[in-house]
Amino acid sequence: MIGIYAKLAWRNVLRNKRRTLIAGAAIGIGLASLIFVDALMLGMEANMIDSATSSFMGEGQIHHEEYRKAFDAEKTTLHLSEVTNRLDTENVVEHYTERVMSFGMLSSPSNASSVQMIGVNPSTERNLSETDEVIIEGDYFKSDNSHDILIGKKLAELLEVELGDRVVLTTAQAHTGDLAQEMFRISGIFYFNVRDMDSYFAFIRINRAQKMLGLPGEVHQIALKFTKDNIGRNAEHPFWSRYAKDGNEAVGWAILMPQLENVFDMTEVSKWVVGLILFAVVALVIVNSLFMSLYERIFEFGVLRAVGTRPLAMGRLVVFESAALAVISIVMGMLLGFFLLYIVSQTGINYSGIEYEGVTFRKLLYPVVEVRQFVVYPLFAFLFTLLIALYPATYAARLIPAKAMRKSF
Amino acid sequence: MPSDKNRDIIVTKNVTKTYSDSGIPVHAIRGIDLTVKNGEFTAIVGPSGCGKTTFLNIISGLDTVTEGKVWLGGQLLSQMSGRELSDFRRDSIGFIFQAYNLIPVLSVEENVEYIMLLQGVPARERHERVIKMLQLLKMEDFADRLPPKLSGGQQQRVAIARAMVAEPLLVLADEPTANLDSKSGGELLDLMRKLNQSTGMTFVFSTHDQMIMERATRLVTLKDGYIDSDNWRD
Repeated sequence: MIGIYAKLAWRNVLRNKRRTLIAGAAIGIGLASLIFVDALMLGMEANMIDSATSSFMGEGQIHHEEYRKAFDAEKTTLHLSEVTNRLDTENVVEHYTERVMSFGMLSSPSNASSVQMIGVNPSTERNLSETDEVIIEGDYFKSDNSHDILIGKKLAELLEVELGDRVVLTTAQAHTGDLAQEMFRISGIFYFNVRDMDSYFAFIRINRAQKMLGLPGEVHQIALKFTKDNIGRNAEHPFWSRYAKDGNEAVGWAILMPQLENVFDMTEVSKWVVGLILFAVVALVIVNSLFMSLYERIFEFGVLRAVGTRPLAMGRLVVFESAALAVISIVMGMLLGFFLLYIVSQTGINYSGIEYEGVTFRKLLYPVVEVRQFVVYPLFAFLFTLLIALYPATYAARLIPAKAMRKSF
Repeated sequence: MPSDKNRDIIVTKNVTKTYSDSGIPVHAIRGIDLTVKNGEFTAIVGPSGCGKTTFLNIISGLDTVTEGKVWLGGQLLSQMSGRELSDFRRDSIGFIFQAYNLIPVLSVEENVEYIMLLQGVPARERHERVIKMLQLLKMEDFADRLPPKLSGGQQQRVAIARAMVAEPLLVLADEPTANLDSKSGGELLDLMRKLNQSTGMTFVFSTHDQMIMERATRLVTLKDGYIDSDNWRD
């Protein structure tokens, strides 16, 4: 019995091919848009996380538990050797690097600017950040000269200095507050394409920074890179509790940059809003298409009722027709979605330089394709189409045969 | 298959139908009393607007009465629910329409077997009965064709097969020859008369067609919603 309705529905849908194609295309475009937007949002999320973590911050950090409150130079990481020894044994830690950080003033003969002085270990730093990759002039701590300094392109423009020029870095000693001043030679100029980093960051060697701050053997920050992606996002991961103790805190990027999670939450909501709008439009298309088909064949429906087809079976026929339409639409939508994603995954979308919620896009944005997108959304579209079809199906079930066939007897 | 010639197939008592057309009451049927017995070949005739269509809608359970009662095969239609009426029409009435009204996306065989599908007749029996009926109507070579690929006369033959294959109590035919040339129409009417005589199935026509009137054994003439005359013919 079901077979005859399935057969009727399928043939009816193919009866007016142009209308089916137009309705199918509308639903298909809605579905393709949803798949594409989802993949693009995932791509944007991955891009933002990558921009935020791999450029400098790392996927997580360990500090003195009060360091982040005011970035007080006195608050150095406690039990440093114990912490680093333990990190050396962690399977989930791919790399880590120690940093000494403080605020200072960088002066040239022409100008002066406040800077974030960052003392780094050049060999381990390159595993964590991209500082070595973004040098546009000079070298990344190539010589053995402990007075090398790397500054950003914008800072160099402000100070009106070039490679090899001398600058003076002034900072306050951590415990005494006494001023410490040293002369450095610009050995490299970097360009992260992130305004704050290019304008305020100044990298020197870690032992030189420790000496200036009067903090021999001490660090403010241990930046971490993990072997697994999700640890930095998962505050509940046991890794954090192993280090967040004895006066230190250990946190992932999701806590260091809480605005990122907010952005992702907002993006998720936006995606559903876009989806709802798309499917509201699609719903109208489906209802319109089914009603057009129903009105066009109202006499036929009347005949089916007249010869003894039960009301429920009439409704079932309309639902089956919508299911057939959904199948055609889903195939079209998946093909279109796949095609769009293929094109964009080849070309990428260039958002580089655009800053959003403290993160600057630095690389081309590529959509992230997941099997879920080609399973969940088509299933959703199918169920949604069936749900929407209940309205015309109810209408068909309630048809009064004599009215439907009023042109007959 | 009905065989008792004295059995009442249709009985109407004081059937009245009034409907509203833009707020103005229209009296389509005014107190019709009619009894149609088993095996009759009856034509309901009359000018346009006399109430033929409304009367056929009422006796087939496609429309409701304003007043009065209708019994079909001994069952009072007004006591049936929508679903019971659907089942009753499926099992007891065969319809033949002026414009054939076959389902265009189903083949001839599928169209004819549709009602038996609704009845839950097993596939093998369905197929045998369809082929037998198509052979009777000389349409067996067209079993796999879709209706739009057939001539008007051929489509009406399929419609007759569909109406009769489930062996209903009654076949209602609305202007069955209106879209056919006189030769095809005449042939089909002869065929229906032959089936009426051989099976004893009751036929009721609504028509203006002189050919039907000539073949009908009873002519019920409606005028302004009343029965104007009711004549039996040999």
